[in-house]
Amino acid sequence: MSFFGFNNGHNTAATGFSQAHNPFQGLSGRDDDGDALEFEDTYDGLGDQLEETKDAYNDDTFGDTSDIAAAPVGKDFDFFSQTAKVQNAIEEEHYLFNRQQPPARSAQPAQPVQQMSYGQPSLQSAASYGYTSQGHYRTGYEKYSNDKYNNNEPVPELQVDASLWGVAPKKPAQPAPQVSQQAAQSSSAPSRKILSLEEVEAQMKAQAQAKAAQATPSPAPHAQGPSQIPYDPAIQFAQPAQQQFVPPVDHTRQALPIHVLQRPQSTQAPSPQPPVQPAAHQRQPSSTSVQPTQILQNPNRLSGDAARMGMQQHPTPPVPGPSAPPTQPAHRQQGSFGRQPNIITHPSQVSQLTEEQRAAYMEQEAKRAKRNHKIYLMSRDNGVMTPQDKSFVTRIQLQQLVAATGNPNEHGTDESLTEDFYYQVHSSLQGGQRQHPNQPLNNFAQTYLFQTGNRSGHMRRHRGPENHMQRMEQQVQRAVEAAKNKPKNKQLVIEGSLGKISFSNAKTPKPLLNIKRTESTDDANRPSSAHKVVSAGDRKSDLRTIERIYTILMKMEDHDRVLPPPPTSDTDVEGHQRGMRWSNEAQALNQDLWSALRVYDEPQPGHPHPFVALLSYNKGMKAMNRIFRHLSQEQRTTILTLVIVNLDKLDVVVNAQVTSAAVQLTAAMRENIHIFSNAVMNTLFNFLNELDLDIVAGLLSILSKQRLDIIAKSRIGASMITMILSRAEIIKVNVGNTHPSWQAWDMCHTDFFDRLEPTLPYMFPGSVNTADDIYVWQLLAALGIGASPEQQQRLVLAVKDRVMDTVALSKTLPADMGAQRLQNVNLFMRSIGLDVELLQ
Amino acid sequence: MADVAEEAPSVSEPLDLVRLLLDEVVFVKLRGDRELKGRLHAYDSHCNLVLGDVEETIYVVEDEENDEEVKTISRKSEMLFVRGDSVVLISPQSRIH
Repeated sequence: MSFFGFNNGHNTAATGFSQAHNPFQGLSGRDDDGDALEFEDTYDGLGDQLEETKDAYNDDTFGDTSDIAAAPVGKDFDFFSQTAKVQNAIEEEHYLFNRQQPPARSAQPAQPVQQMSYGQPSLQSAASYGYTSQGHYRTGYEKYSNDKYNNNEPVPELQVDASLWGVAPKKPAQPAPQVSQQAAQSSSAPSRKILSLEEVEAQMKAQAQAKAAQATPSPAPHAQGPSQIPYDPAIQFAQPAQQQFVPPVDHTRQALPIHVLQRPQSTQAPSPQPPVQPAAHQRQPSSTSVQPTQILQNPNRLSGDAARMGMQQHPTPPVPGPSAPPTQPAHRQQGSFGRQPNIITHPSQVSQLTEEQRAAYMEQEAKRAKRNHKIYLMSRDNGVMTPQDKSFVTRIQLQQLVAATGNPNEHGTDESLTEDFYYQVHSSLQGGQRQHPNQPLNNFAQTYLFQTGNRSGHMRRHRGPENHMQRMEQQVQRAVEAAKNKPKNKQLVIEGSLGKISFSNAKTPKPLLNIKRTESTDDANRPSSAHKVVSAGDRKSDLRTIERIYTILMKMEDHDRVLPPPPTSDTDVEGHQRGMRWSNEAQALNQDLWSALRVYDEPQPGHPHPFVALLSYNKGMKAMNRIFRHLSQEQRTTILTLVIVNLDKLDVVVNAQVTSAAVQLTAAMRENIHIFSNAVMNTLFNFLNELDLDIVAGLLSILSKQRLDIIAKSRIGASMITMILSRAEIIKVNVGNTHPSWQAWDMCHTDFFDRLEPTLPYMFPGSVNTADDIYVWQLLAALGIGASPEQQQRLVLAVKDRVMDTVALSKTLPADMGAQRLQNVNLFMRSIGLDVELLQ
Repeated sequence: MADVAEEAPSVSEPLDLVRLLLDEVVFVKLRGDRELKGRLHAYDSHCNLVLGDVEETIYVVEDEENDEEVKTISRKSEMLFVRGDSVVLISPQSRIH
C-alpha cells in the first residue's frame, strides 16, 4: 500500500542521485513511523527501464510542459492523471501480474536469453537484464514506457520479469546486471550517455545550489517531474505528502555536498559496503539524513512482500558485472533487504566506473526516483481503508454479487457462480480479457484478486470477528438464494430428454418408487386372489382357515361366557331382549364358524374337500371337539356325513394303510392317527351315539359306497366302521329290531359286508407278531355281532389264518402278553359265539 | 363359500403368518448359532415362543490346533420358552419327518 515500508538499511543508498530530485524525501521520513503504507504494493521496478531521453511524448503524458515551465508552481503537474484514470486497472494488473508470475515465466519467449545471461557476466547478460527489466512496465506503467519514453530495448514487451525475479537467491546479484547493462548502454551509445551525465550533473548541481527544482536543460523527464513538485503543493498530493515534499529539496541540496565531503567517511556507513567505494558513501549519508533514498530503493519493497517479490527477484542472474565483483559480497550480506544491495552497489561501482557509466547510473537512479514519485502519487490514498474496511466492502460486494442477478460481465449467471464459484473466479483472473483499462474488472474477480494470495493472507490476520460474521452472513445469504432459485416444481422435463428429472429436498425426498395404488384394483384383486387361494386348498390357506376357525371359536366361547341369565319372568322385557341379543349374536357367530368350516365348499379336482383337508392338521383335528359344541344337530350330522363320505380321502386313512409287511408308520403319522382318534373319532363317536338308526343306516350305506378296502385297511377307517356298526348294535339292543327302519339297516349291512369281505384278511397291521391289532378284532367283533350265521362263517373263513397264527403265537409269548393277544382274538370269537379256548 | 371380507385381515401383519404355524413343528433359528425345532405352542408380539418337544442344536466351532471343526450339540426339551430377542427366524418345518 505504500512504499514507506522500507528497511532502514536502504537509507544508505546513493545520495547524489536522490539529491538531484527527491521530492519524496519528506515522505520518506514517514518510514520511521512504520505506518500502514506498504511499499511493495506500489513498486514495480519499472523505473530502471525508463528512457530519460525520449521526451517527445511528455506532453501527452504530463500535459503541456511548457505551461508548467511558465508557471513553475503550476497545478498542471498532472502526468499522473492519465494513469490515475486507469488506476484501478493498474492495481489489478499489478496483482494479477504478481500472481501469474510463475506460470508466465515458463511461457516467456525471452527465457533463452536470460539463461544465457545467467552464465555469462558479459554484455549479453546485461542486455538480457535490460529485457527483463522492461517487464516492470507490465506492472501498470505501460503509459510511461509506451507514451513518454521510447524503449531502446528491442523487445520492450518481453515479460521476462518472471525469470528476472523468479529465482530466489538472486536478490543480491541483481545490481550487477544493472551495472553491466549500464556499461553496455554506455558503450553502445556513449554520446548519449555522456550527454545525459552532463545534464544530470548539471541538474544536480543546479538543484543543490539554486534550491529549486527548476527544469533543467536536460530533457530527462525526471528532472522536470520532481523539480516541479515543491512548487506544486496543493493539487496532486494529500496534505502529508505535501509537507513531505518541501524538505526533500533541502535534503537534496544538503545531500550533495555531504556526499562529496563524506567520501572519506565511508567507513562509518552502517551497511557492510566496502569502504573503497565512494559512490556508496555518497548515497549513504544522504539516505541516512534523507529518507528519499529509500524511495529510490524501491526494490526493497520486495523484502516486505517476501514471498511474491522474492520470487520475482530470483531470476535475475547472479552474474557479477565486470566492474562489480568486489561489491557483491557486501550485497549478499544485505540479502535480507531485497534489492537494497542494488543501490548500494551502484555507488561503489560508480566510483570505479567512468564518468559515462556514472552518468548512466545516475540516470537510472533518476528514473527510479521519478517512478517512485509517480507511484507515490498513485498510492497516496493507500491505507485510507483498513484491512477490516476492505474486507467489509469485499464481503458486501460478494454478497451483492451472489444475491443479485448474475453479473453481466460474467459468462455465468448467478447460478453458475454458486455452482462454479472457484472456476468462475479463476477464469476471470486468468482470462483477464480486458478490452480497455477503464473497463472494470468484474467485481467478482476483483474482490477475489485482492482478497486471495499472500496479501490477503496478510490481511486476514487483521480481520476482526465481524468479518467472520460477514462471511457467515454471506454464506447464509448465498444458501438462501440458491434455495430460492431452485425450481419450484418437483419435476423438470428437459426438452428432448426421455425422462423426467425430479428434485428432492429434505422435506420431500425423491421418490424411488412410484407406486400408484388404486382402491378399486386393490379391492378387486384381494377377493379373487383370496378365493383362488382358498379354492387351491394349499397348505397356507388351510392353516389360515384353521386359524380363522379358532378365532371364531374363541369368540363363541367368550360369547358363551356372557350368556345372560334367563329372564326372571315373562314380564322381564329387558331380560328377554338380552337373551334375544345374545342368541342373535350367537347365531351370527355360528354362521361365521359354519362358513369358515367350508363344509359346503366344492372341492377342487385333485384336492380333498376343504373341510377334510382341515382334518389333516393336528390343530384342525383338535378343534373338532370344540367345533361340535357350537354346532347345531343338523350341522353336526352334516359334518359327520361329510367325514364318512370322505373317509377314504382322509390323510390319516390314505397315508396310513397297513400292509402285511412289518412296516412301521412314521412317527408323525402315528401321532396324527393318535390325535385323530382322540379328537375327531371321539367327538364323532359321542355324536354318533346320539343318532338314530336311520342316520346310522344312512351312514353305513354311504360308507359302503366308498373304497372300503382302503378304509378298512387303516386304523381310523376300521375304527369308524366299528363305531357305526356298534352304534347300530346298541340301538338294536336298546330299541329292539322291530323298528321298520331295521330292514333298511339290514340291507345296508348286507351290502356292506359283501363289499368288505374281500378286505377282511388284509386289515391286520403287519405280521402276526404285531401286537397292536386290537382295533381289527374290535371291528371283526362288531361285524360278527350283527352278522347273520352265514356271514359269520364267511368271517371266520376270512380271518381264520390270522386267528390261528395269533393263538399259536400267543403260546410262545410271555404269559401276560399271550393272554392279551388271546383276549383280543376272543373279542371276535365271542362275537360269533365261539371262544379261543375252543381252538386250543 | 368362505367369507373373504373377513378372511383378508387374517394376514394383516407378519406375525399372522407365525400364527399359522401354531401347533405346527417349526424351525427356529436363534442368535448364538442355535437352532430349535419343535412344535409351536404360543408366541407373542415380541416373538417370545413356547415350543414343545424341542430339539435344540448348538453349533460350536472348536479350534483344536488350527483344525477348526464345527461341532453340534443337541439336546431335547419337552417344553421351552424362547425369549424373542434371540429369535432370528421362524420357519415352518416340512410335515413329513
